[in-house]
Amino acid sequence: MDAGLLAQFVANGLMLGMMYALVAVGFTLFFGVLDVIKFSHGDVLTVGAFTGYSTYLGLKLLGVANPWLQVAAVVIVACAAMALLGALIAKYIVMPLKGAPALNVLLITLMLGTVLRESVRLFYPDGANPKRFPRLLPTDAVALGSFNLRLDSVLLFLGGLAVIVAIHVLINRTKLGLAIRAVAQDEETAKTMGINFTLVVLVTFAIGSAAAAFAGVMNGLYYNEINFGMGLWLGVIGFSAAIVGGLGNIYGAILGGFLFAALQTVGAVALPFASAYKDVFAFAAVIAIMAWRPTGLIAERTSERV
Amino acid sequence: MTSKLVQALIAAMLALGLAAGSAQAAKKTVKVVFIGPLTGGVSANGIGGRNSADLAVRLRNADPKAKYHYEMMVLDDECKPNVGVQVATKAASDREVIAGATHYCSAVAIGTVDIYHKFGLPVIVWGAVLPDITYGNDYKEVHRVNGTMINQNDVNAKFSTGQGYKTFAVIHDTTDYGKGHLKYFGEYVKKYGGRIVGAFGVTADQQDFTAELTQIKSLNPDAIYFGGLTPIGVRIRSQMDKLGIKAQFIGTSGIVSDAFIQGLGPLAEGTLAFREGAPLDKLPGGKFFTAKYAEAGYPEGPEAYGAFAYAAMNLILDTIEKVGPNRNKVTAALGHVKNVDSIVGPISFDDHGQNTVAAITKYVVQDGKWVVWEDSEYASGKRKLAK
Amino acid sequence: MNAAPRAPLWPGIVAAALVTAFAVAFMWAENEWEVVGVLAAALVAVLVARRTGWLAPAARAFEMREPAMNCVTIAALLVFVAFFHDDHFPLLMVGTVLVYFTVCLGLTIQFGYAGVLNFAAAAFLGTGCYTAAVLSAHTSLPHLLVLAAGGAVAALVGSILILPVLRTRGHYAAVVTIAFGLLFRTFLEVNDTLGGPQGLKLPSMNLLGMTFNDNFIVAGIEFSFYMHYVLAALALAVLAFAVTRRLERSWIGVSLDAIRLDETAAACFGIHLARWKIVAFTLGNFMAGAARALYALMLGFIAPTNFTFGDSLVMVSIILLGGIGNPWGAALAAALVVVLPEKLQLIQEYRFLLYAAMVILVLLYRPEGLLPRPLRNYLPGWRPR
Repeated sequence: MDAGLLAQFVANGLMLGMMYALVAVGFTLFFGVLDVIKFSHGDVLTVGAFTGYSTYLGLKLLGVANPWLQVAAVVIVACAAMALLGALIAKYIVMPLKGAPALNVLLITLMLGTVLRESVRLFYPDGANPKRFPRLLPTDAVALGSFNLRLDSVLLFLGGLAVIVAIHVLINRTKLGLAIRAVAQDEETAKTMGINFTLVVLVTFAIGSAAAAFAGVMNGLYYNEINFGMGLWLGVIGFSAAIVGGLGNIYGAILGGFLFAALQTVGAVALPFASAYKDVFAFAAVIAIMAWRPTGLIAERTSERV
Repeated sequence: MTSKLVQALIAAMLALGLAAGSAQAAKKTVKVVFIGPLTGGVSANGIGGRNSADLAVRLRNADPKAKYHYEMMVLDDECKPNVGVQVATKAASDREVIAGATHYCSAVAIGTVDIYHKFGLPVIVWGAVLPDITYGNDYKEVHRVNGTMINQNDVNAKFSTGQGYKTFAVIHDTTDYGKGHLKYFGEYVKKYGGRIVGAFGVTADQQDFTAELTQIKSLNPDAIYFGGLTPIGVRIRSQMDKLGIKAQFIGTSGIVSDAFIQGLGPLAEGTLAFREGAPLDKLPGGKFFTAKYAEAGYPEGPEAYGAFAYAAMNLILDTIEKVGPNRNKVTAALGHVKNVDSIVGPISFDDHGQNTVAAITKYVVQDGKWVVWEDSEYASGKRKLAK
Repeated sequence: MNAAPRAPLWPGIVAAALVTAFAVAFMWAENEWEVVGVLAAALVAVLVARRTGWLAPAARAFEMREPAMNCVTIAALLVFVAFFHDDHFPLLMVGTVLVYFTVCLGLTIQFGYAGVLNFAAAAFLGTGCYTAAVLSAHTSLPHLLVLAAGGAVAALVGSILILPVLRTRGHYAAVVTIAFGLLFRTFLEVNDTLGGPQGLKLPSMNLLGMTFNDNFIVAGIEFSFYMHYVLAALALAVLAFAVTRRLERSWIGVSLDAIRLDETAAACFGIHLARWKIVAFTLGNFMAGAARALYALMLGFIAPTNFTFGDSLVMVSIILLGGIGNPWGAALAAALVVVLPEKLQLIQEYRFLLYAAMVILVLLYRPEGLLPRPLRNYLPGWRPR
């Protein structure tokens, strides 16, 4: 295999990994503050992508033709709307379930995901069909031998990177981040220290959901297509990535996301069997990793409480 | 004042309703079934087919000479074999259903033919192109008005190699539909002096094809042949562009739909595809169908196979009119269909229930429309296909 | 033991008769309004019965005269299918409910007793189906053995997961099974030798020289061929129910309960955690695989899309809706989940949406499920005061 093709595979894999990481970060943030898995996360991503698409259509009606302005509006509206949706879900569905059996929470959020997904399918105009997401970013391409890189892919990757860095700074360098970390570590103590628990949870859910919306729009801009089922698969992969990395740790989530993309790419390219087996390979590797490190690669530091 | 008006209105409505009711009650109601993909990626084709079949039923019900009043049960197979088997069982086990126009997706049709045979429900396939649906069995219940993929691939391979494409990379979906296309296209390409340099099976809900396409890029084929349906066709064509693959994109009847062009926009330009049957406006009854369809005011278009769905349903209704609402009699009567006039040309079923449609139409996308090749600017040399 | 007063049997029989009458009416209901009407009537009847205390004697009959009441239930079901003896579709529904019920008994042992999470139910169901398909197409193995083989292979495939399942807990264990479920489905889809996405066809089931796919005539009455399958599914369900109840009552059941409630404490009392988790996981998969093998033969067709993550979730939601750990609850929920969407044709498009919304509402307002598992009763007739 020549270097150009190798570079092509690496570029494809990095792009996938970025999307998975953005989803996984949401899962891990939610788990950190509330110790719950919110399985509707993937479908929030779908709703985010459709919101972005609707924003684009609205702008077109208003006669805004500048693609940069359109991208900015699409991203901002989608992220803001999903931040709100995320906070609402947290307030009315997830928080009342505090103390309920974990299985119930899991099933309820899964079903909530189904409600969101089916709502898009049924109530969005012609929602059952895939929609063509516009190309808003410049598509100038650099071709080096058999390596082809388009500017829009580079920009999307940088955008994703910026979001992850921003979340990192927010968690580690701001007062809000300190509060989130405090709640994640010990809810009771955090409350006695005067932290508004509800507010912190809502804000965390808003941040995670906005990241998912960004991933959704990114997905749309990259594949130029969105459909009502897109979030299901991304959600499951994001969840697996968060788990493999180790729940409650955003570096774990990022590591897990890129690891999963790497496994898929390796499965497609380097293994002796047909490329269609790449997901089988990736999930088998996930199971093996879980058997090897039952609490993820970057394990939570907890002790058993009896 | 107002209450009187309301009363008058209600009375008028009641009278109308009674009149309509009694008119219907005079005729016996007969149930027929339509099955197609109404949701999912190929729903545009399914809904077009549904509307067309519905049009046949509506026109018949409006006809005072008809002996029965028809009610069309509509079922959604979602283009998934297991769902198809479920709804086919539902329709076939309902004794009031006399016959049906069924399936756009080959993968579904090949799974359900056994059910129709088991329950003895006569059906006419209106869109699925896999040969085995009619030729893979001896079921007298199963018929088909549209052609099979064999001729389609013959014409396709001959035409493509004639245009100077010698090496092909094949991407196909891994259902019997995609595998069938791979098989027949492979045979004919060899016959006409072309070569398949690589074949890649993909699943119908796959999103990312960059791994497969990067491998294809290293094979550097003249053209990419795609044996599958619209949704993944759209994704593959769009990701080809992302990776800078300049090869010609050649599809099958599975992508001849408006959704393909809507999904790709300008990228669809120059895509080739093939479909059995003459184009609608060149058919004898095409004008009649187009006019009536427009008159009925369906929001969606009839799509590539609407005319076949109409013809299938119309043939069913004709047969029921002739022999009465009885499954066995309808099956027997359909076995003797020879040279029956329809909007898609004369229909003759051979001993496998297959209509013999020889004509294959070549299509190319030009300015956001599927244009018959001979009428296109590509044929006249004004525009050039990808090289 | 004999000291306990014998509860009268008749309230249980009356209840069973009423439920059967309701079920017949429900199956007969043609349009949406009749369906909704019958449902509403049943709901009102249950609420009234609860208010007036008429439910208690029936419940007591079920609790204390269990062997007799089990026979009554089977008889009621036979009466019910007799009503629809030549009608294909209702019988197909009944067969489906019975199979789902058996599968959920398997899951009850896993989730409800041992507390082992299994979100890959579809994978084990699929293993059972595909085993049945391959064996019945390529070998002349008697079909009863094919069912057993379906279960055995499902259990065997499940053993791959034993190590990661034993080592992980909570969400981490969930992801192991979810990953396996997805892996299994993708594998089926890309693997050509097992039919790929096209799926496989199965021949008719044969038992003691009877071909199950032919209608048959007994005493001048024609029966639908599905009747064979309904009776086979019923036999399987009865068997699975007996095993589950025996297991629950035995010292094994007590050990499993202890493990679920507190692993550390159970281990301190000398219960072998790994052994009983393996037993529960394997037995559950066996039952699921065997039951679904029968279902595959009944439908005559299987495809990878039958075994998606969503299908695993349906199974899990049945046991949660019914009340985790209560076999009767699983029976009720299986019937609702299978039959209701089929009856509400009008909402065909919206059925997933409504189904999901219903599960959310039930779990929010009745987190224990429709029929919560009663407290373990060590002494028959003894009630906590």
